[in-house]
Amino acid sequence: MTKEISKNIISIKSLSNKSTKGDKVLLETKRQKQKKLTRKHLIEVAIVQFGENGIIATRTADIATVANVSHGTVFAHFPTQEELLISVIEEFGNRISQRLHELINTNSSLFEVLEAHITGLIEFEPFYTRLIIERRLLPESVCNTYIMIQSTISFHISIAAEKEIEQGNIRKIPIHLIYNTWIGLIHYYITNGDLFSHNGSVLKQYRNELLEHYANIISK
Amino acid sequence: MKQCIACGMPMKSVEDFAMGDLEKEYCKYCCRPDGTMQSYEEKLNSLTNFIVKTQGIDEKTANSAAKSMMAKLPAWKTE
Repeated sequence: MTKEISKNIISIKSLSNKSTKGDKVLLETKRQKQKKLTRKHLIEVAIVQFGENGIIATRTADIATVANVSHGTVFAHFPTQEELLISVIEEFGNRISQRLHELINTNSSLFEVLEAHITGLIEFEPFYTRLIIERRLLPESVCNTYIMIQSTISFHISIAAEKEIEQGNIRKIPIHLIYNTWIGLIHYYITNGDLFSHNGSVLKQYRNELLEHYANIISK
Repeated sequence: MKQCIACGMPMKSVEDFAMGDLEKEYCKYCCRPDGTMQSYEEKLNSLTNFIVKTQGIDEKTANSAAKSMMAKLPAWKTE
Protein backbone atom coordinates (compact mmCIF):
# COMPACT_ATOMS: atom_id res chain seq x y z
CA MET A 1 0.00 0.00 0.00
CA THR A 2 2.84 2.39 0.86
CA LYS A 3 4.63 1.41 -2.36
CA GLU A 4 1.64 2.45 -4.40
CA ILE A 5 1.40 5.79 -2.68
CA SER A 6 5.09 6.54 -3.11
CA LYS A 7 4.88 5.55 -6.78
CA ASN A 8 2.05 8.03 -7.13
CA ILE A 9 3.97 10.77 -5.37
CA ILE A 10 6.85 10.29 -7.81
CA SER A 11 4.58 10.36 -10.83
CA ILE A 12 2.73 13.42 -9.58
CA LYS A 13 5.97 15.27 -8.87
CA SER A 14 7.33 14.39 -12.27
CA LEU A 15 4.33 16.04 -13.90
CA SER A 16 5.00 19.41 -12.38
CA ASN A 17 7.82 21.09 -10.57
CA LYS A 18 5.59 22.85 -8.13
CA SER A 19 4.57 20.90 -5.04
CA THR A 20 1.21 22.50 -4.60
CA LYS A 21 -1.94 22.12 -2.62
CA GLY A 22 -3.32 20.29 -5.69
CA ASP A 23 -0.88 17.44 -5.17
CA LYS A 24 -1.84 17.16 -1.52
CA VAL A 25 -5.54 17.01 -2.44
CA LEU A 26 -4.84 14.27 -5.00
CA LEU A 27 -2.91 12.32 -2.42
CA GLU A 28 -5.75 12.64 0.09
CA THR A 29 -8.25 11.32 -2.42
CA LYS A 30 -6.05 8.29 -3.02
CA ARG A 31 -5.79 7.75 0.71
CA GLN A 32 -9.54 8.09 1.06
CA LYS A 33 -9.98 5.59 -1.74
CA GLN A 34 -7.64 3.16 -0.04
CA LYS A 35 -9.51 3.62 3.22
CA LYS A 36 -12.78 2.84 1.48
CA LEU A 37 -11.31 -0.26 -0.14
CA THR A 38 -9.90 -1.52 3.14
CA ARG A 39 -13.22 -0.93 4.85
CA LYS A 40 -15.05 -2.83 2.13
CA HIS A 41 -12.52 -5.66 2.33
CA LEU A 42 -12.93 -5.91 6.10
CA ILE A 43 -16.70 -6.08 5.77
CA GLU A 44 -16.40 -8.85 3.15
CA VAL A 45 -14.10 -10.82 5.40
CA ALA A 46 -16.42 -10.27 8.36
CA ILE A 47 -19.43 -11.58 6.42
CA VAL A 48 -17.56 -14.79 5.66
CA GLN A 49 -16.11 -15.16 9.16
CA PHE A 50 -19.45 -14.52 10.85
CA GLY A 51 -20.99 -17.09 8.54
CA GLU A 52 -18.36 -19.73 9.23
CA ASN A 53 -17.75 -19.29 12.93
CA GLY A 54 -20.77 -17.42 14.23
CA ILE A 55 -21.17 -13.75 15.03
CA ILE A 56 -20.60 -13.67 18.77
CA ALA A 57 -17.67 -16.07 18.50
CA THR A 58 -15.80 -13.95 15.96
CA ARG A 59 -13.39 -11.42 17.45
CA THR A 60 -12.11 -8.37 15.58
CA ALA A 61 -8.67 -9.94 15.96
CA ASP A 62 -9.83 -12.94 13.90
CA ILE A 63 -10.99 -10.62 11.16
CA ALA A 64 -7.67 -8.82 11.18
CA THR A 65 -5.86 -12.13 10.77
CA VAL A 66 -7.96 -13.38 7.88
CA ALA A 67 -8.00 -9.96 6.20
CA ASN A 68 -4.25 -9.84 6.53
CA VAL A 69 -4.19 -6.46 8.21
CA SER A 70 -3.12 -5.32 11.65
CA HIS A 71 -5.61 -5.32 14.47
CA GLY A 72 -5.02 -1.57 14.63
CA THR A 73 -6.31 -1.22 11.10
CA VAL A 74 -9.55 -2.95 11.99
CA PHE A 75 -9.82 -0.80 15.08
CA ALA A 76 -9.31 2.36 13.03
CA HIS A 77 -12.29 1.51 10.85
CA PHE A 78 -14.43 -0.09 13.54
CA PRO A 79 -13.63 1.01 17.09
CA THR A 80 -15.99 -1.56 18.54
CA GLN A 81 -17.22 -5.04 17.70
CA GLU A 82 -20.71 -3.56 17.63
CA GLU A 83 -19.85 -0.95 15.01
CA LEU A 84 -18.36 -3.64 12.81
CA LEU A 85 -21.44 -5.76 13.20
CA ILE A 86 -23.77 -2.86 12.35
CA SER A 87 -21.73 -2.06 9.25
CA VAL A 88 -21.88 -5.66 8.15
CA ILE A 89 -25.62 -5.88 8.63
CA GLU A 90 -26.16 -2.57 6.85
CA GLU A 91 -24.08 -3.88 3.97
CA PHE A 92 -26.19 -7.02 3.90
CA GLY A 93 -29.33 -4.87 3.93
CA ASN A 94 -28.09 -2.70 1.08
CA ARG A 95 -27.07 -5.66 -1.04
CA ILE A 96 -30.26 -7.57 -0.61
CA SER A 97 -32.29 -4.43 -1.36
CA GLN A 98 -30.20 -3.90 -4.44
CA ARG A 99 -30.79 -7.48 -5.49
CA LEU A 100 -34.53 -7.02 -5.14
CA HIS A 101 -34.41 -3.78 -7.10
CA GLU A 102 -32.47 -5.53 -9.85
CA LEU A 103 -34.68 -8.59 -10.10
CA ILE A 104 -38.13 -7.09 -9.69
CA ASN A 105 -40.19 -4.13 -10.80
CA THR A 106 -43.69 -2.82 -10.21
CA ASN A 107 -45.10 -5.43 -12.59
CA SER A 108 -43.54 -8.43 -10.90
CA SER A 109 -45.81 -11.15 -9.62
CA LEU A 110 -45.73 -12.15 -5.97
CA PHE A 111 -44.04 -15.39 -6.95
CA GLU A 112 -41.28 -13.45 -8.71
CA VAL A 113 -40.71 -11.24 -5.69
CA LEU A 114 -40.46 -14.24 -3.38
CA GLU A 115 -38.09 -15.89 -5.83
CA ALA A 116 -35.94 -12.78 -5.81
CA HIS A 117 -35.99 -12.78 -2.03
CA ILE A 118 -34.70 -16.34 -1.82
CA THR A 119 -32.09 -15.59 -4.47
CA GLY A 120 -30.85 -12.68 -2.39
CA LEU A 121 -30.77 -14.74 0.80
CA ILE A 122 -28.88 -17.60 -0.84
CA GLU A 123 -26.02 -15.21 -1.57
CA PHE A 124 -25.71 -14.54 2.15
CA GLU A 125 -26.99 -17.77 3.53
CA PRO A 126 -24.23 -18.62 6.03
CA PHE A 127 -24.23 -15.09 7.44
CA TYR A 128 -28.01 -14.77 7.47
CA THR A 129 -28.31 -18.12 9.22
CA ARG A 130 -26.06 -16.97 12.04
CA LEU A 131 -27.81 -13.63 12.21
CA ILE A 132 -31.25 -15.05 12.78
CA ILE A 133 -30.01 -17.70 15.18
CA GLU A 134 -28.03 -15.25 17.31
CA ARG A 135 -30.15 -12.14 16.92
CA ARG A 136 -31.72 -12.23 20.40
CA LEU A 137 -28.25 -12.14 21.93
CA LEU A 138 -26.95 -9.25 19.85
CA PRO A 139 -27.00 -5.51 20.71
CA GLU A 140 -30.18 -3.48 20.29
CA SER A 141 -28.70 -1.48 17.45
CA VAL A 142 -28.53 -4.70 15.46
CA CYS A 143 -32.18 -5.37 16.18
CA ASN A 144 -33.20 -1.95 14.85
CA THR A 145 -31.27 -2.38 11.63
CA TYR A 146 -32.68 -5.88 11.25
CA ILE A 147 -36.23 -4.57 11.65
CA MET A 148 -35.71 -1.98 8.91
CA ILE A 149 -34.31 -4.56 6.51
CA GLN A 150 -37.24 -6.90 7.04
CA SER A 151 -39.71 -4.05 6.60
CA THR A 152 -38.11 -3.09 3.31
CA ILE A 153 -38.38 -6.65 2.01
CA SER A 154 -41.93 -6.95 3.29
CA PHE A 155 -42.80 -3.74 1.49
CA HIS A 156 -41.63 -5.11 -1.85
CA ILE A 157 -43.65 -8.24 -1.22
CA SER A 158 -46.70 -6.20 -0.24
CA ILE A 159 -46.74 -4.25 -3.49
CA ALA A 160 -47.00 -7.46 -5.49
CA ALA A 161 -49.34 -9.10 -2.99
CA GLU A 162 -51.79 -6.21 -2.93
CA LYS A 163 -52.04 -6.32 -6.70
CA GLU A 164 -52.73 -10.03 -6.70
CA ILE A 165 -55.35 -9.65 -3.98
CA GLU A 166 -57.04 -7.03 -6.10
CA GLN A 167 -56.93 -9.33 -9.11
CA GLY A 168 -58.49 -12.07 -7.02
CA ASN A 169 -55.53 -14.46 -7.40
CA ILE A 170 -54.63 -14.78 -3.75
CA ARG A 171 -56.48 -14.74 -0.46
CA LYS A 172 -57.13 -11.43 1.20
CA ILE A 173 -54.60 -11.59 4.03
CA PRO A 174 -53.10 -8.61 5.94
CA ILE A 175 -49.64 -7.64 4.70
CA HIS A 176 -47.86 -8.46 7.94
CA LEU A 177 -49.27 -11.97 7.94
CA ILE A 178 -48.42 -12.51 4.29
CA TYR A 179 -44.89 -11.56 5.23
CA ASN A 180 -44.61 -13.34 8.57
CA THR A 181 -45.96 -16.57 7.14
CA TRP A 182 -43.36 -16.50 4.36
CA ILE A 183 -40.47 -15.46 6.57
CA GLY A 184 -41.56 -17.93 9.24
CA LEU A 185 -41.40 -20.74 6.72
CA ILE A 186 -38.03 -19.66 5.37
CA HIS A 187 -36.52 -19.11 8.80
CA TYR A 188 -37.66 -22.50 10.03
CA TYR A 189 -35.78 -24.21 7.24
CA ILE A 190 -32.74 -22.00 7.70
CA THR A 191 -32.44 -22.31 11.46
CA ASN A 192 -32.91 -26.07 11.22
CA GLY A 193 -30.72 -26.39 8.17
CA ASP A 194 -28.74 -29.18 9.78
CA LEU A 195 -31.88 -31.33 9.73
CA PHE A 196 -32.94 -30.55 6.20
CA SER A 197 -29.66 -30.45 4.37
CA HIS A 198 -26.41 -32.17 5.16
CA ASN A 199 -24.25 -30.25 2.78
CA GLY A 200 -24.66 -26.53 2.68
CA SER A 201 -27.41 -24.40 1.22
CA VAL A 202 -30.76 -25.46 2.58
CA LEU A 203 -32.43 -22.65 0.62
CA LYS A 204 -31.01 -23.88 -2.67
CA GLN A 205 -32.20 -27.38 -1.97
CA TYR A 206 -35.74 -26.46 -0.87
CA ARG A 207 -36.24 -23.31 -2.88
CA ASN A 208 -38.77 -24.69 -5.35
CA GLU A 209 -40.67 -26.71 -2.79
CA LEU A 210 -41.07 -23.71 -0.50
CA LEU A 211 -42.09 -21.34 -3.29
CA GLU A 212 -44.64 -23.77 -4.68
CA HIS A 213 -46.06 -24.65 -1.28
CA TYR A 214 -46.45 -21.03 -0.27
CA ALA A 215 -48.02 -20.05 -3.60
CA ASN A 216 -50.35 -22.99 -3.17
CA ILE A 217 -51.60 -22.07 0.27
CA ILE A 218 -52.22 -18.39 -0.37
CA SER A 219 -53.85 -18.80 -3.76
CA LYS A 220 -57.59 -18.65 -4.00
CA MET B 1 -27.28 6.44 -6.38
CA LYS B 2 -29.31 9.15 -4.71
CA GLN B 3 -31.03 8.27 -1.47
CA CYS B 4 -33.89 10.15 0.12
CA ILE B 5 -32.48 12.24 2.97
CA ALA B 6 -35.59 11.67 5.08
CA CYS B 7 -36.15 7.92 4.76
CA GLY B 8 -33.13 6.51 2.97
CA MET B 9 -35.08 5.02 0.09
CA PRO B 10 -33.06 4.78 -3.14
CA MET B 11 -34.41 7.11 -5.80
CA LYS B 12 -33.80 5.44 -9.15
CA SER B 13 -36.30 7.01 -11.53
CA VAL B 14 -38.04 10.36 -11.84
CA GLU B 15 -41.25 9.04 -10.26
CA ASP B 16 -39.36 8.21 -7.05
CA PHE B 17 -38.50 11.85 -6.47
CA ALA B 18 -40.85 14.25 -4.66
CA MET B 19 -43.12 15.90 -7.24
CA GLY B 20 -41.08 14.09 -9.91
CA ASP B 21 -38.41 16.73 -9.43
CA LEU B 22 -34.86 15.41 -9.87
CA GLU B 23 -33.48 18.36 -7.92
CA LYS B 24 -35.31 17.35 -4.77
CA GLU B 25 -33.41 15.57 -2.00
CA TYR B 26 -36.42 13.65 -0.73
CA CYS B 27 -38.70 11.00 -2.17
CA LYS B 28 -42.40 10.86 -2.96
CA TYR B 29 -43.20 9.09 0.30
CA CYS B 30 -41.66 11.90 2.35
CA CYS B 31 -43.39 14.60 0.41
CA ARG B 32 -46.43 16.51 1.64
CA PRO B 33 -49.29 17.31 -0.75
CA ASP B 34 -47.93 20.85 -1.05
CA GLY B 35 -44.48 19.56 -2.07
CA THR B 36 -42.57 20.31 1.13
CA MET B 37 -40.75 17.60 3.05
CA GLN B 38 -42.49 16.00 6.02
CA SER B 39 -41.43 17.05 9.50
CA TYR B 40 -39.57 14.76 11.90
CA GLU B 41 -42.75 13.92 13.81
CA GLU B 42 -44.68 13.22 10.62
CA LYS B 43 -41.92 11.01 9.28
CA LEU B 44 -41.44 9.18 12.58
CA ASN B 45 -45.15 8.47 12.72
CA SER B 46 -45.26 7.35 9.13
CA LEU B 47 -42.23 5.10 9.50
CA THR B 48 -43.54 3.55 12.71
CA ASN B 49 -46.84 2.75 11.02
CA PHE B 50 -44.94 1.36 8.06
CA ILE B 51 -43.05 -1.07 10.29
CA VAL B 52 -46.22 -2.11 12.10
CA LYS B 53 -48.08 -2.63 8.83
CA THR B 54 -45.32 -4.60 7.12
CA GLN B 55 -44.36 -6.84 10.04
CA GLY B 56 -47.02 -6.59 12.74
CA ILE B 57 -44.35 -5.61 15.25
CA ASP B 58 -45.24 -4.01 18.60
CA GLU B 59 -45.71 -0.26 18.17
CA LYS B 60 -43.19 0.81 20.84
CA THR B 61 -40.52 -1.40 19.31
CA ALA B 62 -41.37 -0.14 15.85
CA ASN B 63 -41.09 3.43 17.08
CA SER B 64 -37.69 2.70 18.60
CA ALA B 65 -36.43 1.15 15.39
CA ALA B 66 -37.76 4.04 13.33
CA LYS B 67 -36.07 6.60 15.60
CA SER B 68 -32.81 4.73 15.44
CA MET B 69 -32.91 4.52 11.65
CA MET B 70 -33.85 8.16 11.21
CA ALA B 71 -30.99 9.31 13.44
CA LYS B 72 -28.59 8.08 10.76
CA LEU B 73 -30.21 10.00 7.91
CA PRO B 74 -29.02 13.41 6.65
CA ALA B 75 -32.38 15.10 7.18
CA TRP B 76 -32.54 14.22 10.87
CA LYS B 77 -28.91 13.99 11.99
CA THR B 78 -28.24 16.27 14.96
CA GLU B 79 -24.78 17.77 14.71
